[in-house]
Amino acid sequence: MSDYTKYTKQEMQAYAIAKNIKENQIVIVGTGLPLIGASLAKRAVCPSCHPIVESGLMDCDPVEVPRSVGDNRFMAHCAVQWPNIRFVGFEANEWLHDEDRLVAFIGGAQIDPYGNVNSTCIFGKGDYLQPTTRFTGSGGANGIATYCNTIIMMQHQKRRFIDHVDYITSCGWMDGPGGRERAGLPGNRGPQMVVTDLGIMKFDDETKRMYCAYMFPGVTAEIVQENTGFEIDCSRAETFEAPSPEIIRLIREEIDPGQAFIKVPKDK
Amino acid sequence: MSKVMSLHDAIAKYVENGDVLATGGFTTNRKPYAAVSEILRQGQKDFIVYAGPGGGEVDMLIGEGRVAAYINCYTANSGYTNVSRRFRAAIEQGKLVYEDYSQDVLMLMLHAASLGLPFLPVRLMQGSGLMKYWGISEEKRQSMPKMENLKCVEIENPMVPGQKVVAVPVPRIDTALIHVQQASPDGTCIICGDEFHDIDIAVAARKTIVTCEEIVSNEYIRRDPTKTRIFGECVQAVVKAPYGAWPAQCYDYYDDDDAALKEYDKASKYQDKADAVTQLAKAAAKAAKSLEKAPADEKLKAALDAAKKAADAAADGSLIPETFEDYLNKWVYGCKDQAELLDKIGGSRLMRLKNEPHLGYSTTH
Repeated sequence: MSDYTKYTKQEMQAYAIAKNIKENQIVIVGTGLPLIGASLAKRAVCPSCHPIVESGLMDCDPVEVPRSVGDNRFMAHCAVQWPNIRFVGFEANEWLHDEDRLVAFIGGAQIDPYGNVNSTCIFGKGDYLQPTTRFTGSGGANGIATYCNTIIMMQHQKRRFIDHVDYITSCGWMDGPGGRERAGLPGNRGPQMVVTDLGIMKFDDETKRMYCAYMFPGVTAEIVQENTGFEIDCSRAETFEAPSPEIIRLIREEIDPGQAFIKVPKDK
Repeated sequence: MSKVMSLHDAIAKYVENGDVLATGGFTTNRKPYAAVSEILRQGQKDFIVYAGPGGGEVDMLIGEGRVAAYINCYTANSGYTNVSRRFRAAIEQGKLVYEDYSQDVLMLMLHAASLGLPFLPVRLMQGSGLMKYWGISEEKRQSMPKMENLKCVEIENPMVPGQKVVAVPVPRIDTALIHVQQASPDGTCIICGDEFHDIDIAVAARKTIVTCEEIVSNEYIRRDPTKTRIFGECVQAVVKAPYGAWPAQCYDYYDDDDAALKEYDKASKYQDKADAVTQLAKAAAKAAKSLEKAPADEKLKAALDAAKKAADAAADGSLIPETFEDYLNKWVYGCKDQAELLDKIGGSRLMRLKNEPHLGYSTTH
């Protein structure tokens, strides 16, 4: 699609990710959309950020889009090749030093109103030992959600946004105010927002419950509620700005020209 | 003393049934495929497996029923297969004994093993399902002599009264399999690029088998000790296995084999021919149900036609898609050693995977 004034939902999400990365932030990314968003931030929106990955590769600036966090494409274009345990130690020390420089992107299959995320399994008719649907497991997400502020990436669907997740892989605000402290988790860290294909959900400062903070252009409160399996407050929602044609050009022509993660419909 | 031996002899001598087995590498990077393939050929089994972030190498062991227990933190050929398929099927069918840790905790456990620590306190997994759910119960653990008695337990930090921490066990690894770029006959290793957890498991294991791209002399490897990463006395066997991480990547040497990883992704959907027939019939039935709900939907109609055709072709045996069993027969059991594997992959294909030095990967993989 050579018309840069038209954009896909995924491109909108990538832009929303980039816009939420701040000056000098250390950004934990995986592959997929967060990586495209971070690459966009690095090139156009916030060049001072430092992308790092959980395999231990620090300050990554890949030329070609990597397929995994241990990919040679990250390894050949980063500042330091640490083993994973150093990454874990760095993450914990950032919290111990009371530094607020880290932000992390994580994904998942299910999320509850307090931002607890499941990426382990869906019990369905079974249980943890024999679930209906099994996923990879935690990867780095549990540790990241313990020590870092997170931005959660999800497709906005009723079956994913539910009252209770089957299995908490990555802790959010647990059962509300004070929940993290009671569980032995750092209380001054936690999920900051959920970027979906419909908009950006945030968590209320008082109740820690999810609400809709931004809707992407064309999305209504009805659409958000229809696709959420619990009651969600949309009364505070503003409309998020659309990406400029230059941003879309960057994504398509420079960041992901091979369409590894962002598929673009063909011109008709 | 030279530790150089053939892949066959190294696996026959140092890999035993029931071993606690650890593999190096990271999902699709520097995974010890040559060594795992030789284990599959020789038949050793009943392993307790630690793979760190696992990929196809552990998926193959699980699919072939060689795993008594898998200690998981993440299992996927990232970028090719979202969740490793034999791993997933084995769990969904209730056939795999497994435990879940977070990657952080699992890697720290392997590091703790390399440090010789008695147990490990962490402030991770708290509040999560990783503490709440145990894959292997305390009773079951008692029947497994090589398994620690607990998955984890919350204790008070003796240094900070009132602070809750999580104690996790430190594994006792029998055998480590790692693939490195260069090794010398005395076992000294050079790892280029990220070491991952390879050094940790090499130090912690009673028996470490190193496969390598190149064997260099004991004198040569000492010319620049800033590059050597593993002390030779931690290593029992050194095996020359060029492209020994194929189809995974090996930094400075080659990229992953896009075609092979895609082939594995598709083939590993089905355990064997019978499984393919059953699953394709199920898919056709599901497509028919979807169409019942929206009979006018052209897309669903086309999907049902395609699903029915595939199911019928599989049922009458005229066209059964490649399966996991077929893949292994082709790329593992059908090659008696690494040399035969390389001949089968073919010269031009291997050349396309070669790392481009100015980039650090291949643009033609």
